[in-house]
Amino acid sequence: MKTFWNKSGSNGSGNGKYKSNGHLIAFNQVSKIYETSAGSFTALRDVDLRIDKGEFVSIVGKSGSGKTTLINMLTGIDRPTDGEIYVTGAAVHKLDEGEIAVWRGKNVGVVFQFFQLLPTLSVLENVRLPMDFGGVFDRQERNDRAMHLLELVGIEDQADALPAKLSGGQQQRAAIARALANDPPIIATDEPTGNLDSNSSAKIIQLFENLISRGKTILMVTHDDELADRAMRTIRLADGKVVL
Amino acid sequence: MHIPTRWTKIVKDIWSNRSRSFLVIFSIAIGVASVGMITNAGIMVQRDLYGSFAEGNPASLEIYISPFQRDLTSAVGAMREVEDVQARRVERASVLNGEGDWDDLALNAFPDLTDLDVNRVNLVEGRMSLGVREIAIEKQSAEGLGFVVGDTITIKMEGDRTYDLELVGIVHDLYGMPYALLGEATGYVNLESLQWMEKPSYYNKLDVVVAENKYDREHVLEVGNIIRERVIEASGFRVGSMGVPGLGSDPGKHWAEDQIDGFLLILQIMGVMAVLLSGGLVVNTVSAILVQQIRQIGIMRSIGAVRRQLIAMYFFNVLAYSVLGLAVALPLGLLGSWWLAEFAAGFVNFDLTTVNISWQVMTLQIILGLLMPLGVAIYPILSGTRMSVYDAIYQYGIGSEGSGWFDRMLMKVRNLAPPIVLSLRNTFRNKARLVFTLLTLTLAGAMFIAVFSTRASLTVQIENVARYVAFDAALGLPYGSKKQTVEREALRISEISVAEGWAQSIGVIVREDGTESGELEVVGLPYDASTIDPLMLEGRWLDASDTSKIVVNDDLLDEESGLDIGSEITLKIGNRQRTYQVIGVTSKHLSGSRIYMEYASFGQLTNRPNQVDIVRVRGNLKAIGSSAEQDAIAFQLESRFENASLSKSSSITRHAIFGDFTDVFDLILVVLMIMAGLLALVGGLGLTGTLGINVLERTREIGVLRAVGASNVSVRQVIVIEGVVVGLVSWVLGALLSGPSGRALAGAVVNAVMQADLSYTYSFEGLLLWLVVIGFIAVFSSLAPSRRAARLTVREVLDYE
Repeated sequence: MKTFWNKSGSNGSGNGKYKSNGHLIAFNQVSKIYETSAGSFTALRDVDLRIDKGEFVSIVGKSGSGKTTLINMLTGIDRPTDGEIYVTGAAVHKLDEGEIAVWRGKNVGVVFQFFQLLPTLSVLENVRLPMDFGGVFDRQERNDRAMHLLELVGIEDQADALPAKLSGGQQQRAAIARALANDPPIIATDEPTGNLDSNSSAKIIQLFENLISRGKTILMVTHDDELADRAMRTIRLADGKVVL
Repeated sequence: MHIPTRWTKIVKDIWSNRSRSFLVIFSIAIGVASVGMITNAGIMVQRDLYGSFAEGNPASLEIYISPFQRDLTSAVGAMREVEDVQARRVERASVLNGEGDWDDLALNAFPDLTDLDVNRVNLVEGRMSLGVREIAIEKQSAEGLGFVVGDTITIKMEGDRTYDLELVGIVHDLYGMPYALLGEATGYVNLESLQWMEKPSYYNKLDVVVAENKYDREHVLEVGNIIRERVIEASGFRVGSMGVPGLGSDPGKHWAEDQIDGFLLILQIMGVMAVLLSGGLVVNTVSAILVQQIRQIGIMRSIGAVRRQLIAMYFFNVLAYSVLGLAVALPLGLLGSWWLAEFAAGFVNFDLTTVNISWQVMTLQIILGLLMPLGVAIYPILSGTRMSVYDAIYQYGIGSEGSGWFDRMLMKVRNLAPPIVLSLRNTFRNKARLVFTLLTLTLAGAMFIAVFSTRASLTVQIENVARYVAFDAALGLPYGSKKQTVEREALRISEISVAEGWAQSIGVIVREDGTESGELEVVGLPYDASTIDPLMLEGRWLDASDTSKIVVNDDLLDEESGLDIGSEITLKIGNRQRTYQVIGVTSKHLSGSRIYMEYASFGQLTNRPNQVDIVRVRGNLKAIGSSAEQDAIAFQLESRFENASLSKSSSITRHAIFGDFTDVFDLILVVLMIMAGLLALVGGLGLTGTLGINVLERTREIGVLRAVGASNVSVRQVIVIEGVVVGLVSWVLGALLSGPSGRALAGAVVNAVMQADLSYTYSFEGLLLWLVVIGFIAVFSSLAPSRRAARLTVREVLDYE
């Protein structure tokens, strides 16, 4: 195993924003209320959640149940109205935007439903980009690591191609490689196969299982029960509450 | 070398959005190049015109004297108030041009053209040491007439006798009025050649450089008076006229310096406006880039980018544009300055020694080109990178409704077709961006209309001056003639229905403290003259009973501050003086200070009753003739008066007086129109950018429109109507601003070019033309964004998270 697998996200300590409480991910009475011109809407209600290292967790529920909101809370993309969120020892709910971006770059790899690759960068450059922002790896290492990640996801021959030239499945694999760029302990993904055919979807799930075997923790939002069954554990949401 | 990917991304973004990149590079280049062009041109003019002018020892004073010899020159030169003096003979002649026509020629005779003490000329080609029957011609005259060294030049003095001289030299004379402006050629001979042409050998003009305070007009005129009294008149000679050379300029200054400086100032102001507007365009375009990249910014933040890293990336983006814009602006500015300096050089007759860009101008352009884009991009970059990851990824693309009073008012607009309602509401959705776009278009419109108003004002100004030149032709009578004889002779020409003899002389006002004013022209004319239609600013014109009353022009009021209606002044011509009361003030009319008095009063003052010095004629009392009719009358007048031994001078027509004038103004207006056109272009580009941003921001809305059945035409219509609404609003605002802006520009141009007060005329033609132009700009600016909007598919925009 190459040395650059050993660099994982750091937790930091000492300013009240970082606290280890035994679990990799902990939600304490987390609520999210959106204020709109039509009134307020409660997306999450008093959610308590614990996830440990190495788990492959699927988050399921109908449309509007709060799945995307929950995963956005975890990644720091969205903020809770109430409650506490601890991820890799960091009190995510207390971090400001700048701190969250730095923390997220090293601790959480985000994979979106629609890939969200930068269109003017090649696949290799897309994978390298988080390393440039995060500064986790030396400059000389970044290119090699990016190629290794592409080999891991099986699209190393597309390294110099622009995203628009790739199929949906290839783009999603490129997005997964990007999410792994800074070797984060957690991969958070929202409907990773929602835009893919069944063959591509199967390959993606295989990839996730491979990453679990390498010690990653994966949270996967999906509306597909069959896919959810491939995970070790399922959290079911309904009307913003955890029901299972 | 491994370059961090975030910089590579910016470079690739610049390249992938080439049209937008070109837009912002072009807008930076226009603003920076304008400033460089105008500033560098000013430096070149300063160096080559004003520098060369000073080197040739320019005269402070020119004095026309009755025929004199060299000893008078020596006597004047010996005065302690005088530093240098040069005598010359000036003769009016005609020269045969390449087309077989006779052109006016001012023939200057010197003992030695190579050894002038004042107003030195420079050799261009051939030689300046002239022998008998040899002539040198001024450079611009030679070019205009098509002469080259070695040609045989035929000239005609008074009478029909012609003389062939060999053109041995072409010289450059910075001190005479250029051929391009006056249409009169300038030639140089020695006194022996003049004798060969059967002219007596004497001088009639002195060019004087005063010893001290060379640039003080009052002091120079005072020295002139001393020279006249102590030396010239004391020696028995008569001064014909005396004054500072040029067109009312200060001593030692090039005659066009004020006009050029004024014109450059106007262009500099417009250049600054171009910079401001291009700054607006940069803001618009950088905003468009950030809008387009909002989602990418969100993604980059989701993968670990902090805000300062993103800010640095987009500043690098703007810096790249700045550098590329500079790469275009520097050579463009140099070329433009060359063109502008060449234009001035052709107009004023000087040579550009080298065309280069001064380091000061280059530094200015570099600072402007770097700081302006970075400075104006600060706000859009900071606000664009401020958006949270959530909003950037999930919320962008859906426009939000405003909630202010204006938005609520717009919501009440219901009876129009939905696409039009949509366009109206979309137009006012982002008010800050709308204000910015409106600002650029409004300024462009105000300037555009202002240029037209300037043209209209100049036209009126010229028409006002033309009121004082209400004749078809005029003929000078150098030695004076009897009024009745002159008028009778003129009226014998069948084409002439009005003939007026006017008398004129040079006089001074004797002030209460005994000092004298500068020289001014005194005109004696019939009180009911038909060849003048004075514009009275105060008081009244002359009438039959006004024997001790005079009318002055506004120029005299500027010179003699205590003068007003009712003032009594003592006017002196030669040794005679009388007191008069001022009863009226006319407008300025490019004549310098002037006094009008009834003809009989003039005769009493000058003791030259019944003598006139010029005859002014018209073919038709009701209207001025065409150019051809004027030329025909002029020709007949010359022939008749020569045959009658009354005058051998050349006549002048009204169209000849104004023809070159309007050519110069047209050139100036062309330059102003080019600047206004640039501003309109920048304004149009700004609108394109704004509409493009609006399309990007409402990508999902457009998708929804397509999903519910909107055709390509309908989608395009929404964008085009939006563009037209913005254009119309800017037209209204521009119209409101065009009044004061037009007055300011017209005033600046008229003052710079004519040194006169403004008669402002608003151009409704310009206002309507701008309406057409802005309509075209609005539609044209909408084309690309509307095409982009129409190309968006439902799948692309709605199936997008």
